[in-house]
Amino acid sequence: MRKPFAVLLFLYSSWAAAHHSPAMFNLQQRVVLAGSVREFQWTNPHSYIQLLVKDAAGKEVEWSLEMAAPTYLANNGWRPSTLKPGQQISVTMSPLVNGSNGGLVLGVTTADGRNLGGNSQRGN
Amino acid sequence: MYPCKNAKLLLLSALVVWQVSLHAAEERVEAFASLPDWRGIWIAESGFDTGISGFPDTIGQPGAKPRQMVDPAGPWNAEGQRRLAGMYAGMASRKAAGWGFPLMMDSPAPLQFLITPEETIIINIYQEARHVYTDDRDHPPEEDRWITTWGDSVGHWEDDTLVIDTVWVRDPSRYFQASPPFSEEAHYAERLHMTAPDRIELEMTIVDPVTLSAPMVVKSAFVRTPNLDRLVHDAFENDRSELDGGTFTIAPPKQ
Repeated sequence: MRKPFAVLLFLYSSWAAAHHSPAMFNLQQRVVLAGSVREFQWTNPHSYIQLLVKDAAGKEVEWSLEMAAPTYLANNGWRPSTLKPGQQISVTMSPLVNGSNGGLVLGVTTADGRNLGGNSQRGN
Repeated sequence: MYPCKNAKLLLLSALVVWQVSLHAAEERVEAFASLPDWRGIWIAESGFDTGISGFPDTIGQPGAKPRQMVDPAGPWNAEGQRRLAGMYAGMASRKAAGWGFPLMMDSPAPLQFLITPEETIIINIYQEARHVYTDDRDHPPEEDRWITTWGDSVGHWEDDTLVIDTVWVRDPSRYFQASPPFSEEAHYAERLHMTAPDRIELEMTIVDPVTLSAPMVVKSAFVRTPNLDRLVHDAFENDRSELDGGTFTIAPPKQ
């Protein structure tokens, strides 16, 4: 591999989503957030989980967690009703590099410990 | 006498028309019956591990291999390398509405093959449609050269292999930030063949005098997914990816 490409190829991985590159996320970091679903957006070009998470002071903070477009989720067994407002879940995610309250969803676990398909099902 | 004669002529004409149309319909039914059955929703095998993140499981792990069409180790000439470096450098600050050709043929985006005797349409979830005419026509004459994101495709069947010839494709990296930066002079030759009930193999040979020093041969395969029974299309009505410096961030939800 030619050197000038090496770093970018690492970010790029072997795939990029159709919409944008993953460079906006810190893929070396994995954080688990536990909270309550405010809204599950089953939308294009990305789906989002709006998750209410309590910070260190006990104050509820809203996180915007990006997922694949609905078709990719459906191919991983998800449906528009997979998550419901008020549902307690844990999300494994790579955070935004700019430090905002957002990230890329890698796995979702329900309060009773059930993995909800996709990357999470593969043990990530 | 004349009315009677006219009536006989009319009846005879109607019989001839009926016979001709019946024959044409039978021929078309036979033509349909001779075509392979590629029903279902297909995903490129190399993209089948796309997870709920929209990326494969290997995302973020070192050692990931670049895709074939944008591999710097490919047969790029000096101009191709220059363009490829520009593509990689600008990738993080660009976004797209689909894959475009040729990358839609080696992407995780589910697609469908709609096969008729006269035309095969390859359509994916981003409403990207390739019209492959199989009615013996050729590309339009050079004076009608019409450059588009998906190009002009004609094809034919060699037994169960769909052979496609595509020209006049706009530099693919203009449509999708991670596409190969081929020139509009590029020529794409594809062979698609079902090798197992749930597997269609593709070999694409790309010749581009502007960016390649030798033909680039891309091998891919499509796998029929059991998880989708239809293609559902939708607009990008909730695009929350906004630029923040050199990369994107997630905009707050619309209230």
